[in-house]
Amino acid sequence: MTIDTAAVAARPPAPGLLARLFPPDEPLEARRRLFLILLTLPACLYVAVFAVYPAVRGLGYAFFRYNLLKPQRNAFVGLANFEKLWTDPSSHAAIVNTLTFMASAVTAEFVVGFALALLLWRDRGFNRVVLALLLVPVTVTPLATGLMFRGLLTPDYGPIGYFARTLGISAERGFLGTPETALATIVVMDVWQWTPLVALILLAGLKAIPASVLEAAAVDGATALQRFVTIVVPMMVPTMLLALLLRLIDASMVFDTIYVTTNGGPNDATNVLMIRAVKEGLEFFNIGTAAAISAFMLALVGVLATAFFLLIDRYERTVAP
Amino acid sequence: MTLLRFSSRRTIAAVAAFAFSAGGAAAADITLNVASMNDPFGPAMAKIAGDIEAKTGVALKVDIMGYGELMTKTSADFAGDTGGYDIVTMDNVLTGQYATSDQVIDLKPLIDRDAAELALDDIYPAVMNSLGGYEGKQVAFPFEGYANVLVYRTDLFAAAGLEPPATMQALQAAAIKVTDRDKGQYGWVANGQKGPAVAQDWMQYNAQLGGSILDAEGKPAINSEANVKSLAVYKEFFDKAAPPGAVDYDWGGREESFRQGVAATMQTWSVGAAAYGNPEQSKVVGKFAVMLAPPGEGVPPKYGVGGWGLSINKDIAPERQEAAWKVIKYLTSAEGQKALAEVGAGGFTRKSVLADPDLVAKFPFLPVIAASFEKGDGDYRPRIPEYPEIQDILGTAVNAVLAGNADPKAALDDAQARALELF
Repeated sequence: MTIDTAAVAARPPAPGLLARLFPPDEPLEARRRLFLILLTLPACLYVAVFAVYPAVRGLGYAFFRYNLLKPQRNAFVGLANFEKLWTDPSSHAAIVNTLTFMASAVTAEFVVGFALALLLWRDRGFNRVVLALLLVPVTVTPLATGLMFRGLLTPDYGPIGYFARTLGISAERGFLGTPETALATIVVMDVWQWTPLVALILLAGLKAIPASVLEAAAVDGATALQRFVTIVVPMMVPTMLLALLLRLIDASMVFDTIYVTTNGGPNDATNVLMIRAVKEGLEFFNIGTAAAISAFMLALVGVLATAFFLLIDRYERTVAP
Repeated sequence: MTLLRFSSRRTIAAVAAFAFSAGGAAAADITLNVASMNDPFGPAMAKIAGDIEAKTGVALKVDIMGYGELMTKTSADFAGDTGGYDIVTMDNVLTGQYATSDQVIDLKPLIDRDAAELALDDIYPAVMNSLGGYEGKQVAFPFEGYANVLVYRTDLFAAAGLEPPATMQALQAAAIKVTDRDKGQYGWVANGQKGPAVAQDWMQYNAQLGGSILDAEGKPAINSEANVKSLAVYKEFFDKAAPPGAVDYDWGGREESFRQGVAATMQTWSVGAAAYGNPEQSKVVGKFAVMLAPPGEGVPPKYGVGGWGLSINKDIAPERQEAAWKVIKYLTSAEGQKALAEVGAGGFTRKSVLADPDLVAKFPFLPVIAASFEKGDGDYRPRIPEYPEIQDILGTAVNAVLAGNADPKAALDDAQARALELF
């Protein structure tokens, strides 16, 4: 057997792996796009497997009567779980309470938080110390917050609850034990804990406002109120919307504080969707019902997020020069 | 020559490997994973783990959890057939659920096989049934039995000229008499918080007053006349004799109320009785007594039984099941029960242990528990598969009466309708 050395030498070298993946004759932009796709592929696969698939599967459970411990009863039930969400008195109360809590707590946190941010706007040592102290509640877990307030507010021997009852400020059964005041008390607890976070976000927005703009307005004779209304607020709108969105999403999932204080009572007064979801899913193992509640909450959060992002986008398009 | 030499070496290596493997298997230890409730028996079991290993040859890894976590982890383990836990502490109210969902093995064959060494006659029949028996199966072996008892303040009763209450009506009258709101002294306390807390406490009082959650056929009878009346009595207790915050109490609040001297009487599980005499936890040391829970007038006395059994996961290997059974036999033996009691487990199942002179000297209330078990009733909280949902339904209804001033009959009618949907 003989080898034609000349023919072997004349043969072009085989292209390498990278050359095959990124052909030299392809446009640079196409090669760049392909490269980026390959870079993100592992992350996309991770999200698809551990986030998207479970979410879709979980949504699927919402259409079944599916109990982990009673598999013999499992069956497709269509929209029955969602119907029950509206027709069941306890679940209906949970929806109303959740929405009420979201609106009340977030509104209060926003108003108080904005006021705090304005007070702390000046960059002074004292303000920095105060801000650091204000952030302490944020570092406490909601569970601990609930336990702390439960101890404080119990009408029998709580430092606040006992005197409130004695002085007639609260009902005999205390703030948490009275249907008329229980949810409001939970709101107060949430405001105490999360207002500093709102203040921090808004403070960051305030500090991003150019001082020169405010100074120029002052030189032109604008009053403090005029500067606030015509400069501060418009420039703060995106930050405000962001803070509101973050708090609304978090408030929709309130659970720990309520669980350790009232467990949804008294008389469904503090029963919220997450309490129902945890109870159905982790106490009764009615996965279908829990999935329906979760799907509803996901839709609620999705609508809120979409609305807020559209507002931010529209505002920026309108105001941007 | 080369081939022969190679074959000889391979043969020698194979023989050596086999010998080593056989020796290793014979000496291997088994470590079992235990899912334990964080009741006093959990830490107690962990404390004597060394003794358990010495007695049984089995090492235990005890995972002590709160109730919710225990339910979540064990149910996920069962549903996924992952066999993560070998032994599970089973709340007696979940007996029906365990028995009908094929999660754990039926212990009856093992009990029959080893009957000679189990001293079954030493276990109270009510406890044997309540803590694991269900429709001919034994899905858990009785491990830590609790009796519902009444604790009351002897000093306050003496000051008021009251005798220990023999009936529920006498208890209510005494509680109202002892109550002095101006002094912050209340005659009685129970759980009022919506959910399991109020449901379980009311079911106990309901049973004592002659009520029942199920009818003779095992179907819901929540809105029976007897139940409606007992709920009215329960509400009257809250309105006239309970601390103001009791409507929001769970077990922690209830126990604390008695230990701190706020409430003069309380029905409770016997497992906590020792704490009332602990000066580090209690302000009523030497001022209380434990007695049988009083029945309603004219109602035959039956005493609530609760507690925990030990179950074996059906998903684990047969040799692990056998090792688990070995551990269970020791822990539930008279020897094991006494060892647990001495380190504060607080629950009992055996007649001989409850009569042990050393233990009686240490825990003077043991005769009350023994008497309770003689006429024990573990079904006042129906141990059917639907129990968790029924408990929630009752928790909502009873709390609505206590906190929302709903009409007892209307509340129980609604509860009845919701309960029927489960069947």
